Amino acid sequence: MSFGGQFLRFPDLFPGRPAGEPWGDRAVTLDVAGGPYLVAGISAVQEAGLRERFGSLCRGAVDAAVLLRVFRAPAGDFREIDTRGWEYTLDLDPSPHGLRVAGLRLMARLDWTAGLSGALWTCEAAGEEWTGACENALRVLAAYRLLDLGGAVIHSAGIAGEEDGYLLLGPSGAGKTTASRLCLDEGATVLSDDLNAVLPGEDGAQMVKLPFTGDLGDRAGAPASTPLRALLRLAKGSEESLRPLSPAAALAGLVAAAPFVNRDPGRREALLDVLERLAAAVPAWELTFPLGARLWSILRSIPATRR
Amino acid sequence: MSAIRPAAVLRRPSDVRYRRIEGEAVVLRQSTAEVLVLNEVGAAVLDLADGRRSVEEWIEALADRFETDRETLARDVLEFAAELAAAGLLEPAPGDET
Repeated sequence: MSFGGQFLRFPDLFPGRPAGEPWGDRAVTLDVAGGPYLVAGISAVQEAGLRERFGSLCRGAVDAAVLLRVFRAPAGDFREIDTRGWEYTLDLDPSPHGLRVAGLRLMARLDWTAGLSGALWTCEAAGEEWTGACENALRVLAAYRLLDLGGAVIHSAGIAGEEDGYLLLGPSGAGKTTASRLCLDEGATVLSDDLNAVLPGEDGAQMVKLPFTGDLGDRAGAPASTPLRALLRLAKGSEESLRPLSPAAALAGLVAAAPFVNRDPGRREALLDVLERLAAAVPAWELTFPLGARLWSILRSIPATRR
Repeated sequence: MSAIRPAAVLRRPSDVRYRRIEGEAVVLRQSTAEVLVLNEVGAAVLDLADGRRSVEEWIEALADRFETDRETLARDVLEFAAELAAAGLLEPAPGDET
C-alpha cells in the first residue's frame, strides 16, 4: 500500500507545506528531552488537555528549540479504523529534507528548512483522542530532534536507582512493563516503561526521562535523568540468566529499538554513529528472567565497568 | 533458497548498510528496518560483495585469511551467500547471468 493509504482517504492530498487553519491562538511549551517544544495553534480546550496530560512539563509559550504547529483537518479526510486487537504503527515517508507521517486521525510532517520544525493536522478537538494524536507527533519529533543532538529515543524500560540506571531494550511484548513492575516492587524507580532517551554525557551516557509511557503510565518522582550504567536486551525464557553481549549485538539491539529514525535512509549513518558510540561506552547484557524474579537485585549485581 | 554458483557476481543492495565492530558486522536493511549481526566470516563476505568479484574470487581471498581447508571454505561460503541472498542482503550484480 502506498504511503498513508491505511489511514487517509486522500493520501495524494497530503499537505505539501506546514500551512492551514489553526485550531486557535493558544500555545504551550513542553519541557521534554531535546526541547523545549512549543505546540502552537491550539484551542483553549486543547491546551487544557495537554496541561492535564503532561502536567509539570508544561509552561506558557516561550521561544522554543522546536515548533510544532497544529492545524484543523476534516474528519472525512481520515479512514474509520476498527482498533480492536490492532497494533498501531505510524506510517512514515522520509525524504532528504522532511518526513511525512500518517496515523490514526492525524497527518504530520517534519521539515528541516530552517532547523527542525513540525506540523500536525488532526480532526481531534479535545479529549484523549486529541492528546493521543499530539503525543504521537511529539514522539516522532523527539526521536528526530534527539538524533540531531547526538542522542536517541529508545524503545525501552528505564530503571533507576539512587546513582545510576539501566536501559532494558525490547519491542512491544518483550517484557518491559513486567520488568518495570518487578523493579518497582524492590524499590527502584522507573523513568518510562516504553520510550526513554539517551544523550551523551561527560562519562558515558545519560538516560533521560520521556513522558511517553506504556501500560505503567507516568511515574511521578522518577529522576529527569541519570547516568546509564548498563544496557540489557530482554529475552524470553523461564530461567534467570545474564550473559554479556558483544558490541555488535548491543548495536543491533539499539538500532532495532530506535523507533522512526531506524526506518529513515537519510538518517541511518547518523543513527549508526550515535548508537555505535553508545554501545562502546556502556556494557551490554542479555537478560532472561521468569515472572517473580528479583530483577532489581540482578541489575544491581552487574559490574559497573565499561569496555 | 536458491543455490549460488561459484561464478556468480553478487553485490550488496543499495538499502543495506553495515558496520564492522570487533570482527563482527551489524547489518541494517533499511527497507524493513531489520538488523542482523554477522560473524567474522559473514562480515568478510559482505566486504567482498562489491559487485565486481565473483564468489570464486571471494573464496580465494578468504582462503588466505582463514585457516580451513579450501573445500570446506568453498561450501560454507556458497551456502552463506545463498542465505544472505535469501535474506535480501545480497543480489546479482547487473550483467550477472550465472
